[in-house]
Amino acid sequence: MATDTDSDRDTLIGGDGETERDRTGNAVVNWMENLSEAAYAYLLLVPAFLLLALIAFYPLVMTFVMSLREDQTRGGEPLGAFTGIDNYVDILTGNARLARQFMDVTLSTSFPFLEFGVPILQQALFVTLGFAVISVFFETVIGFGQAYVLDQEFRGRRWVRVAIILPWAVPIVIQGMLFFLLFQPEVGFGSDVMQWLGLFGPNPLADSQDSFVIILVADIWKSAAFMALLILAGLQSVDRSLYDVARVAGASPWQRFKRITLPLVMPALLVAMLFRTMDAMRVYGLIESTAGCTTVPSLTCLVVEAMFGGTRIYGTAAAVAFMTALVIGLIISVYVFFFRDTEGGPY
Amino acid sequence: MTNETPPDDRHGAGERTPSDGETETVDADDVPAHWTRARRMPDGGRTEDRGHDTLLGESGDDAELDRGPFERWVANAIKNPERAYRAMFYTATVFFLVTTLFPFYWLLMVALTPEGQQQDIILTPNGFNPSAFIEVFQVLPFHWYVFNSFVIATASTIVVLIIASLAGYAFGRLEFPGKVPMMMLVLVISFFPPAAFFIPLNDLFNTSFFALEPITGDGTLYNTPGAMVLPLSAIFMPLAIFILTTFYSQIPEGLEDAARVEGTTRLGALFRVIIPLSAPGVATAGVLTFIAVYNEFFFSFLMTDGQPENWAPILEGILGYQGQYEVMYHLMAASSIIGVIPVAILVIVAQEKIVSGLTAGALKE
Repeated sequence: MATDTDSDRDTLIGGDGETERDRTGNAVVNWMENLSEAAYAYLLLVPAFLLLALIAFYPLVMTFVMSLREDQTRGGEPLGAFTGIDNYVDILTGNARLARQFMDVTLSTSFPFLEFGVPILQQALFVTLGFAVISVFFETVIGFGQAYVLDQEFRGRRWVRVAIILPWAVPIVIQGMLFFLLFQPEVGFGSDVMQWLGLFGPNPLADSQDSFVIILVADIWKSAAFMALLILAGLQSVDRSLYDVARVAGASPWQRFKRITLPLVMPALLVAMLFRTMDAMRVYGLIESTAGCTTVPSLTCLVVEAMFGGTRIYGTAAAVAFMTALVIGLIISVYVFFFRDTEGGPY
Repeated sequence: MTNETPPDDRHGAGERTPSDGETETVDADDVPAHWTRARRMPDGGRTEDRGHDTLLGESGDDAELDRGPFERWVANAIKNPERAYRAMFYTATVFFLVTTLFPFYWLLMVALTPEGQQQDIILTPNGFNPSAFIEVFQVLPFHWYVFNSFVIATASTIVVLIIASLAGYAFGRLEFPGKVPMMMLVLVISFFPPAAFFIPLNDLFNTSFFALEPITGDGTLYNTPGAMVLPLSAIFMPLAIFILTTFYSQIPEGLEDAARVEGTTRLGALFRVIIPLSAPGVATAGVLTFIAVYNEFFFSFLMTDGQPENWAPILEGILGYQGQYEVMYHLMAASSIIGVIPVAILVIVAQEKIVSGLTAGALKE
């Protein structure tokens, strides 16, 4: 071992005035100095991957292992015998012991060919997917609007930007509290206005449909700014002279947007949408602090309820948690596939 | 909003306008002229007819004089579409300002309204009772929750910065096999839902470890800052790693070599040369991590029993005013405002860093 001899020699040179600790310190430094670049890189990555292993890899594997075992509602041990994929089958067929179903859909022979066992907004998978798709769509549209405003040069732009970012920086619990108060009939005017418009019932926070809308609005209010910032970065990377050329060539504003802005902003936009989709898929805190998980069950809600709500069903909880991860993994793959296409595309 | 009131040089603008039609560009020097005109647009020129007339007279468009103000505005808008865009821009700016800021204003009004009179507050409070901001600390030890949140957020930020600095250096400045797959792995982890990690972690943190007994009493991490700092550091580390990778990779090779020639060790070069030179990047990653941890809900909510002496963070405090028998709406609003102040200050002070960090980190990923 070359490193050992090196450090030995160094200790000899160091002389006898050194303490034991200095010598080990020197040995470590010498050992590090003599590592190859690759070995040094791996050494630097050890702490990061140790933390990730403890907090992410190990729990993810454990979640999967737990999901293959039976629920044991009594006794000291929370998990029963190995049951294979029974938990998953129960969840997908709507037979799990969950208070709200993951999904409860049966195929039928007549027109929509699908039948929902319980209302669609009581099914966690559809609540979560619907929430993600609708909120990301509106955040993209509003984010574009905000990015356009911030892209202009005007006095006070700095302060407008602060105002637009501010909701993004608000803690989830305060965002939830704000919308809870706005739509709480005893306090906020939100429910009065919506009732007057005939859109909401008398107690919107107890109604699945109304609460779903409230949670959407709350999420859009908070997260559009994130989209705006990423889109703005894309907008500012666009070469301005392209617009002048287009103008001279007689392109209308819509054509300029479609042919210049959109393609050039697309990579940034896709990344932003991916981030927002992932974030929307794990919605929990916002629901918990406004309408509550019983009114609008998301996938994460289901996991928490299965663990702490009344009966202890760890196996099922783990299965739901793992399926949540699977659904998200699936969406990432679709996005990445789409993203590859865009980068290799005509632009 | 005061910043946006256009300078009152209507006549100056009027004189300049005729040439503007041709030279209209995204030009910063033209700003006052745009503004004055843009101001006129939304109200259809009604209040500022005089200005319009001079304008038209000077530009010699006599044919338009017999039209009504709105038609004239439409005609102008068609002839000079930049004006209409300017009007749209103004409408949009005001709309976004109102939608983002009004909720905070309304929250303040709710907080200032005495208990039990919270009905129908829109623009003004029903009564005036600033003592809610003192009551918040008397009903619950709210300062204790705030303190816990600060400790947890600061500790997580330090952990993240140290670990992400090492990883960012490796990813940003070293070449090694498996670099791209490892970066992808870090990225993918940041996408997974905390729920997928939670069940085993909850078990783990409730397991008693002999080694931890002197520190936590019963040997478990539950109800200690560690139960939040560990998972939150792991979850928010990927973004910090990507930000720091970007910044560290931009430091010229020569500076590091010079330090090494001077006899600095490898780690010494990282901590004495690379990190100080990337101070803005480190600050960016730090600010973003702090905000993210302070704002987090899932682990903060589930990893303690909600008691302030057990390190429950600020969210338990804010949710705590919803008692079993009484719901103290004005205290919920007041505590929310207090909870927003630290992040609001951070956003105002560090907005450039936040913007650059989010875009650099995310787009790099």
